[in-house]
Amino acid sequence: MRGTAPAREWRPVLEGRDLSFTHPRADEAAVCRVSLSVSPGRLLAVVGPNGAGKTTLLKLLSGSLTPQEGGVTLDDRALSDLGDRERALAIAVVPQSESSPFPVTVREMVGMGRYAHLGPWERSGGRDRAVVEDAMARCAVAEFADRHLGELSGGERQRARIARALAQEAPVLLLDEPTAGLDLRYRMELFHLLRQLRAAGLGVFVITHDLNLAARFADRLLLLDRGRGRARGAPEAVLSRESLEAVYEWPLRVVPHPGPGSDTGAPQTVPLRRDGP
Amino acid sequence: MTHTPRRLALLALVVVAAVALSVSFGASGLGPADLWRFLSGEADPTTRSILLQLRLPRAALAALVGGALGLCGCTFQALLRNPLAEPYVLGVSGGAAVGAVAVVVTGIGLRLPWMLPLGAFAGALAAMALVLAVARRASPGRMDTRVLILSGVIIGAFFNAAILLLLSLADVESFRSAIFWMMGNLSGADWASTGLLALLLVPGALAVLSLARAFNLLSCGEEVAFYLGASVQRVKLTAYLAASLMVAAAVAAGGVIGFVGLIVPHAVRLAWGNDHRLLLPASFLAGTAFLLLADTVARLVVAPAELPTGVVTAVAGVPFFVALLLRGGRR
Repeated sequence: MRGTAPAREWRPVLEGRDLSFTHPRADEAAVCRVSLSVSPGRLLAVVGPNGAGKTTLLKLLSGSLTPQEGGVTLDDRALSDLGDRERALAIAVVPQSESSPFPVTVREMVGMGRYAHLGPWERSGGRDRAVVEDAMARCAVAEFADRHLGELSGGERQRARIARALAQEAPVLLLDEPTAGLDLRYRMELFHLLRQLRAAGLGVFVITHDLNLAARFADRLLLLDRGRGRARGAPEAVLSRESLEAVYEWPLRVVPHPGPGSDTGAPQTVPLRRDGP
Repeated sequence: MTHTPRRLALLALVVVAAVALSVSFGASGLGPADLWRFLSGEADPTTRSILLQLRLPRAALAALVGGALGLCGCTFQALLRNPLAEPYVLGVSGGAAVGAVAVVVTGIGLRLPWMLPLGAFAGALAAMALVLAVARRASPGRMDTRVLILSGVIIGAFFNAAILLLLSLADVESFRSAIFWMMGNLSGADWASTGLLALLLVPGALAVLSLARAFNLLSCGEEVAFYLGASVQRVKLTAYLAASLMVAAAVAAGGVIGFVGLIVPHAVRLAWGNDHRLLLPASFLAGTAFLLLADTVARLVVAPAELPTGVVTAVAGVPFFVALLLRGGRR
């Protein structure tokens, strides 16, 4: 990070094994025997149709829900053994949406990312402020640091929430559809940022509906369908016409990215009209 | 955050001025000049005794009750994520009123006046325990704030019915003193009750103030607060218990004084934003100053009689609140 030394070089692996979870009063499991690991320096994208269990999977990995079967470990320690602050120092989460009844400024909100670093009576110090400013700069929200969240556009608000997660300085980052509501430029910038974080050694887990960006930026993909892992591996292996058509129940073609640059050849999904080409 | 010490110091000055004002005026006709003579050690024994035994304990009680209500209003707003929550939203005032009215109506209050705050305190604790028990049974393992509000409202309504029942059985004299108590009234102030209230408030206030940053997180929602490292269930339970205890103590000492806990945190929010590290202590100090002034007015307008303090806070509070809303809307 610019200007601020990382707090530690702890790079744990977050691993979920055979995770199953059924919501109360639901007939079918939201997540059924899914295993995955979020490794340092790797970007894992989870894709799949609405209701496939992606968000439930994130909640299981983050400790917000406890799996009914299987377990989540952080470097071989059970996630449930960690205290709340200890967990927040290891895993930062950007959930899908949130609302606040009380207006706060962007700087105040990003500053909340420092909670786990401070004791109840401890005042935030120079390093905390530097981390907050740096996180705001990286997410391009520094220019409206003193504006209230309610005065911002959806995309700006979303970037402020990502900045808050970065201010946590956790080695594992989980994001639930972070590009929802962002325009083309900020979608690209967000994935560039995720790739930078991955290069800096973070383990990144991102849920997205953008198959094409996932194919270009992720190291590995997990395709979920009705709570089960349907395919996993490199983008080229997961994004096949057969499995995507089966999962999304829609005709489509997968074509190579025309390039230029390192994206050349990445599988890009093009949905067709239902009445044929 | 950098403004915090300066803003709190400013409020502390306002509180000192409010104490001076409150002590300087009263039914006995002693004025600011007498206060000055007292401070320089030249006052006669009557002046000394009026100031030390009547006006100072009353000012201290008004200050503590006002501060507690401001702080607890702010706490309930953070806990319930609702800017319109106030200290009595969860039925504590109803429980206290039932306890106090029972003491008055049964005639115990006439013979043993110190039983009234005790009855109020016991009633408030009973209400608090009942609301918490219902909320925890209805949402096992987690304290759902919506369930908490609903059970508070329902139990509060039950207590109101119980008060009406008790009052309908009361004679005229008991009726009048019960109503007077329910409208909020600090005339019973002495050093013993004030000291007791201070003792009860200190641990509660410290507990709530230590949660300031957790309250900031809670305002983004419980899920987000959890991801940022807050122990959400523990924070909510601590906040509920500490604030309810403080409200119970304040109601027992001063009756049901409305609007302080609603208006004061709102005014601070509109002026200085929603960071609870400033908001909580500022709400305490502003509540202190507000109730001191309201009580001074209550003692003066119909002197030598006095108005219930709760009437003054309501009459002053409503227009003030409307003005704040209009100002907030224009921004």
